[in-house]
Amino acid sequence: MSIADNALTDEMASRDDMIVCRGVKKWFGDFQALRGVDVTVKDREVMVVLGPSGSGKSTLIRCINRLEVHQEGDIIVDGVELTNDLRNIEKIRSEVGMVFQQFNLFPHLTVLDNITLAPIWVRKKPKAEAEAKAMELLERVGIPEQAAKFPGQLSGGQQQRVAIARSLAMEPRIMLFDEPTSALDPEMISEVLDVMKDLARGGMTMMVVTHEMGFAREVADRLVFMESGDVVEVGTPEHFFTNPQEERTKLFLSQIL
Amino acid sequence: MTDTTIDTAPPEAPLPSPVRWVRDNLFSSVSNTVQTVAFTAVLLGLLRWVLGLVFADESNWVSVATNMRLLFTYNYPAEQFVRIWFAAGVLFVAVGASFAAWNINPSITLRRIGVSLMGTGGITLVVALITPSATPSGLRTAMWVLGVALVVIAAVVLRVIPEPHRRRVPFLGLLIGVSAIVCAIMWFVPFGDYGFSEGEPTAADGIVASSTRVPWTVLFIIMIATYVAGRGLAQVVSLAPLRRAMIAWWVIGPAFIVFMVLRDPEFDWAHIWSTDLPMAAGFALGGGALIYLLAAPGRSDLARVLGAIVAAAAVFNWVAAFFGWYPMLQKARFSFALAAIAILLVPNFAGERSARLRVAAVWAGFMVVFHWLLTGINTASTLDITAPPFLGGFVLTVSIAYYVMLASFPLGVLLSLARTSKLPIFRVLSTTYIEVVRGVPLITVLFFFSIMLPLFLPSGMGISDLAAVFAGYTVFSAAYMAENIRGGLQSVRRGQYEAADALGLTTVQRTSLIVLPQALRVSIPNLVGQAIATFKETSLIAIVGGFDLLRIANSTIPNQPDFLGQKRPALLFISLVYFVVAYTMSRASRNLENRLQAGQAR
Ligand SMILES: Nc1ncnc2c1ncn2[C@@H]1O[C@H](COP(=O)(O)OP(=O)(O)OP(=O)(O)O)[C@@H](O)[C@H]1O
Ligand SMILES: [Mg+2]
Repeated sequence: MSIADNALTDEMASRDDMIVCRGVKKWFGDFQALRGVDVTVKDREVMVVLGPSGSGKSTLIRCINRLEVHQEGDIIVDGVELTNDLRNIEKIRSEVGMVFQQFNLFPHLTVLDNITLAPIWVRKKPKAEAEAKAMELLERVGIPEQAAKFPGQLSGGQQQRVAIARSLAMEPRIMLFDEPTSALDPEMISEVLDVMKDLARGGMTMMVVTHEMGFAREVADRLVFMESGDVVEVGTPEHFFTNPQEERTKLFLSQIL
Repeated sequence: MTDTTIDTAPPEAPLPSPVRWVRDNLFSSVSNTVQTVAFTAVLLGLLRWVLGLVFADESNWVSVATNMRLLFTYNYPAEQFVRIWFAAGVLFVAVGASFAAWNINPSITLRRIGVSLMGTGGITLVVALITPSATPSGLRTAMWVLGVALVVIAAVVLRVIPEPHRRRVPFLGLLIGVSAIVCAIMWFVPFGDYGFSEGEPTAADGIVASSTRVPWTVLFIIMIATYVAGRGLAQVVSLAPLRRAMIAWWVIGPAFIVFMVLRDPEFDWAHIWSTDLPMAAGFALGGGALIYLLAAPGRSDLARVLGAIVAAAAVFNWVAAFFGWYPMLQKARFSFALAAIAILLVPNFAGERSARLRVAAVWAGFMVVFHWLLTGINTASTLDITAPPFLGGFVLTVSIAYYVMLASFPLGVLLSLARTSKLPIFRVLSTTYIEVVRGVPLITVLFFFSIMLPLFLPSGMGISDLAAVFAGYTVFSAAYMAENIRGGLQSVRRGQYEAADALGLTTVQRTSLIVLPQALRVSIPNLVGQAIATFKETSLIAIVGGFDLLRIANSTIPNQPDFLGQKRPALLFISLVYFVVAYTMSRASRNLENRLQAGQAR
């Protein structure tokens, strides 16, 4: 069993692969940010990515929807291999939602327009249908009354929930989260984590970079620990929080727990 | 003006008492007092100097009053003048409808009105006090009366009406108020009635001619009526289609007014039935059908290939025409190029049946209007004009400036996008263009287009003077627009690009829906600055043969036998005209910024 498939239960191992990274290498100029990463995320699995600053967590998940281009190795998302073929990239991007640390809402559009934009222009949905769906999603993340406001008029936690709703409007099969709560005031973190837990319970395949250990312990199916562009250890929450194998993992966990 | 409302919006802070304000702001310390006195002295000196220019004995304002028509519409034949009024009427309707469509409804507090009345009254009194002795005594008396009246009204507004800072006059009230004042001035103030009759200047005492004051009054009434009707309409229908219609009108409408209404082409109906109409129908229906078919989901590759083929054919036609060989008529050449662009853009509009039908219909409508306009431009005018240019004066200045801004804007957007593009070839081409144009004086560009370019063109592919000047200005202005927009593009954060990419938007969608709207917002002040510069620079038309405001004031009027050598009044007058237009643009841009900011402010 390779490190990529570590710690899978039999039931989980029998599911389809949603994200497969094999020997992914990535350089920024001379600097190698990923040194041959092997990770597999199964259907309906929640994978949490841990690691110190600069270890390549963001780079890895940004490679998965091609915001960064990897130079070596294979990335296969929902059976489609990421190559330079534009059609594959657009297909994968519309099936993979991404939530950023800085929300990245479109400031010139209302909350409703932020959410309906991609369904209307990419999915070619009729406007009324897209808006009905958007209201449903706003209901789900708990802020339907903010639909007509502009992002600048919302709190950080509300903005991040809009960002999640915006991704969900494309009905993605996979959601990527890059430190979704790191830019939030402490009292707003839980409102965003609640939405994410809800998503995980709904069976969404998720890959989450976060430092929220409570969330990782409660929601993650598996965790992956990265350092200096390498995957150091993959395992279940119990494995990580009770009995980590690698020295570097132990050190990291002792620092943040 | 009386239907004020007390609103619940945050009121302006109450005004301090005038004495208090003067003490705090003008005489708060010794140095402040010295500055106040010094600046007041300089200002009064300047004002006195300007008044000296205006009312000096050698300033004969009769030359301006008599030549009003020349300054605004140049040699437009008097018996056809109804066309000018009709055009102005259409324009006023469009202004009123646009105010309504964009829900432009700024209200002003009574206090602000009071303060500006007080300021105007005060300045009028100061002018009355220091105006030179050459000022006609009737005018001086009028200034005293007006000044006192304004100050009294202002005092009533500010001190008698309770809470003037919380009472707002709605936009409609302002519109009616301003129109009423302008009309009242025309109907009651004895400016005198000046004009030409059989080439001889005529002058009579009394109010302005009825041929001036009646149309203007009607125009104001039309504008207010359209605004009211538009606001009513906006209650029952959604604003989006109204706005789209108005945008389409503002792009194509003014050209229609100039070339169809003012120029009045003498249509050759036989030729239209045999050639123009079939060609327009062919492009409209054939192109529309093609677009409808190609916009079906899954046909984007086909559309790209076909678009490339049509584009190649279009480019070939232009190159062939350049070498004097014409495989196609001029109109077909233009339409083919437009069709290529449309087909290449079609994949972005792919969708369900109704959306496809709409895109095809827009294309067909556009083709019809476009062919109609080109046919009109290419046929002789029926106007009986002694000197050749049918357009001149203020109308020429404004028309050129307007269309230069309109045409150079998309060009500027494309150039700025190319300059920030990842592809080096675009970057190099665009940078070269921008730097070359910015390194050359405008007058050189204009000379190149009006004098040099026709020499290079093959015979038969002539370019009219007006078109040459227009092209030169557009080429010049686009380079500056591009630099202004580039500043805005750089202010859009990387996260915006990433979010758009992550949602699966195509590059065209990302640029047009996410990046440009944000970049342009940031660029508004600079773009308006550029627009104002373009407006003023149209005065260079004179040098390449056009009869714009400046040329009429500087050489046409001073060459009339009755006003030989009289330059000063006309130059002062056109300065005022330039200033009023430029200042209006600058105020409008500030309002626009505030409106956009209010929308998304934190
Ligand atoms: N665009 C880039 N150009 C050059 N170097 C980069 C770029 N993006 C990331 N890097 C480098 O790659 C390494 C990995 O970066 P990455 O952002 O993936 O780290 P991370 O694990 O997400 O860290 P953090 O927890 O701070 O977000 C870092 O050393 C970073 O400096
Ligand atoms: Mg990171």
